Amino acid sequence: MNSILKLLVRDIRGSFLMSPLFLASMLVSPLIYIFVLGFAFGGAIPSVVAGGISMSYILFLAPGIIVSQFLTGGVYAGASIWFDKRFGMFEQILVGPFTKTQYITSKILSVALQGLAMAFLVLLLTSPLLSGLSVSFLGILYIVAAWMFGSLLFGSLSIIISTAVKTDEVLNVVFNIIMPPLLFLSSVFYPLENVPALIRALALANPLTYAADMFRAGMLGLQTSYLSYEVLLLVVESVSMFLLAVKRFKGIKI
Amino acid sequence: MTSDYVISVDGLVRAYGEKVAVDGVSFGVRKGEIFGFLGPNGAGKTTTIKVLTTLIPPTHGKVTVLSYDVTDEPLKVRRRIGVVQQQPSLEMFMTVEQNLDSSGFLWDISKEERKKRIRFLSELFGLGDCLKSKGPELSIGQRRRVQVARELMHDMDILFLDEPTLGLDPQMRRTLLDYVKKCASEGLTVFFTTHIMEEAEYLCDRAAVIDHGKILACDTVEKLRSRFGTGTIIEFTLAEKEVSLKSALMSVKGINAFSEPQEEDGSFKISADDPSGVLPELLHALFTRGLHVTSVNVKESSLEEAFLKLTSEREAKA
Repeated sequence: MNSILKLLVRDIRGSFLMSPLFLASMLVSPLIYIFVLGFAFGGAIPSVVAGGISMSYILFLAPGIIVSQFLTGGVYAGASIWFDKRFGMFEQILVGPFTKTQYITSKILSVALQGLAMAFLVLLLTSPLLSGLSVSFLGILYIVAAWMFGSLLFGSLSIIISTAVKTDEVLNVVFNIIMPPLLFLSSVFYPLENVPALIRALALANPLTYAADMFRAGMLGLQTSYLSYEVLLLVVESVSMFLLAVKRFKGIKI
Repeated sequence: MTSDYVISVDGLVRAYGEKVAVDGVSFGVRKGEIFGFLGPNGAGKTTTIKVLTTLIPPTHGKVTVLSYDVTDEPLKVRRRIGVVQQQPSLEMFMTVEQNLDSSGFLWDISKEERKKRIRFLSELFGLGDCLKSKGPELSIGQRRRVQVARELMHDMDILFLDEPTLGLDPQMRRTLLDYVKKCASEGLTVFFTTHIMEEAEYLCDRAAVIDHGKILACDTVEKLRSRFGTGTIIEFTLAEKEVSLKSALMSVKGINAFSEPQEEDGSFKISADDPSGVLPELLHALFTRGLHVTSVNVKESSLEEAFLKLTSEREAKA
């Protein structure tokens, strides 16, 4: 069997065995966001206009929350490297028949698959609320690209951070600092058309915005005028981030 | 270095910034040999193992394992070795059985074969009762046993053991050492680091003593003992009290040194290179003087004495 695949199976097996509760907890936040925020703001905001299309707030919000699973899932890539370090498995794997690149690729694939599974479950659980979805073939391509490159980008980012910190406590602190701005300064919760210029500028520099917009384009057919740039930026940024993660990881001190 | 070495280390230097952990080390290990790498804590043993197992690159020097350069072809090296590291390692959220199975899976061992090996190794290392227990439920000794057993799930040409008996009880320690001996007799090469000299003495064919990053001696265990130890000691006691034997023993050939009875046990001590030649003459000399020997004990010089002598000499020079 392919080395990456073997490491991937090990990682997923470890994640599920670690705590099924932990995985279940990953479902709680997105469901709360969709149900509570969706209904609460939905009452105050009868409809949202984005990309020239009018829709209910919950319909706008749900794809954004689903795509944010690739960010929260991606963060787990770096954390799981620290789990391996804490229990001595990091060096043990690296004296096995694997390369460092195979190891981190398996970590990113693992979080991508877990993120996809979470996204699918959230979609399934919220589907009764999401009438009005229309997914074309091109839409599926947008969804798959948002998933693939979003996971690659955030997984790689998390690995880069994990190589830069000296303890897993610091890693958690860094994640806690960067997660809220990434999440809230993006198009996940609101359309960017009518927000203040500074927030709009920051959100347009945030790769989560690209992934969210691509996901909405796939699920709702809602296309921003700059979608093709977003696709291009997400692909270039995610591949660059992955290459940087590999470089950083190869130079990691053991 | 000759080509019959499966591990060949030539002028290895490994530095961490300004600090030199291994300083110009050279040695070779032959196929099927159990090679001990002995040294006090912080001597450079683990750093050397990390270079040999390709975890860290050498700063200088040439290191080959199974003819592959560790810097140029690390993956080819790793595919043919097994490593039990000094630090504990465990898939903490898996059961013992899952730990062993996961290791076999990573090494491409078939499912059927994994089952067989899990059965064998769990029996060998007394893990049968805790196969379904997860990491947090295991004692330190059990975790160590799982760590060792897990590494024996796959086939290899060289097994690196970095202080593998840490945390094991004497019985399990002996089981492990005996199993390693058996594997070596079947062709496995073993690189074994320890600071417990009895283990090295029991297990190793040859050994190198390292301290402060430099090799102080490298030879067979017997030669290290005889070169750096105190020689064989013949210890005996007499029924008669307060006897001086100095003149009586002058006639016995082959005695290197002699000491009068120690107050605590009343025994005489003789150091000799060839105890089997000295002992009959000694007993004859005592008998002809009408003395009655109540006990005789022949003690080989130990590796520990040689080790202490080597490392304390190094300390004194430093």
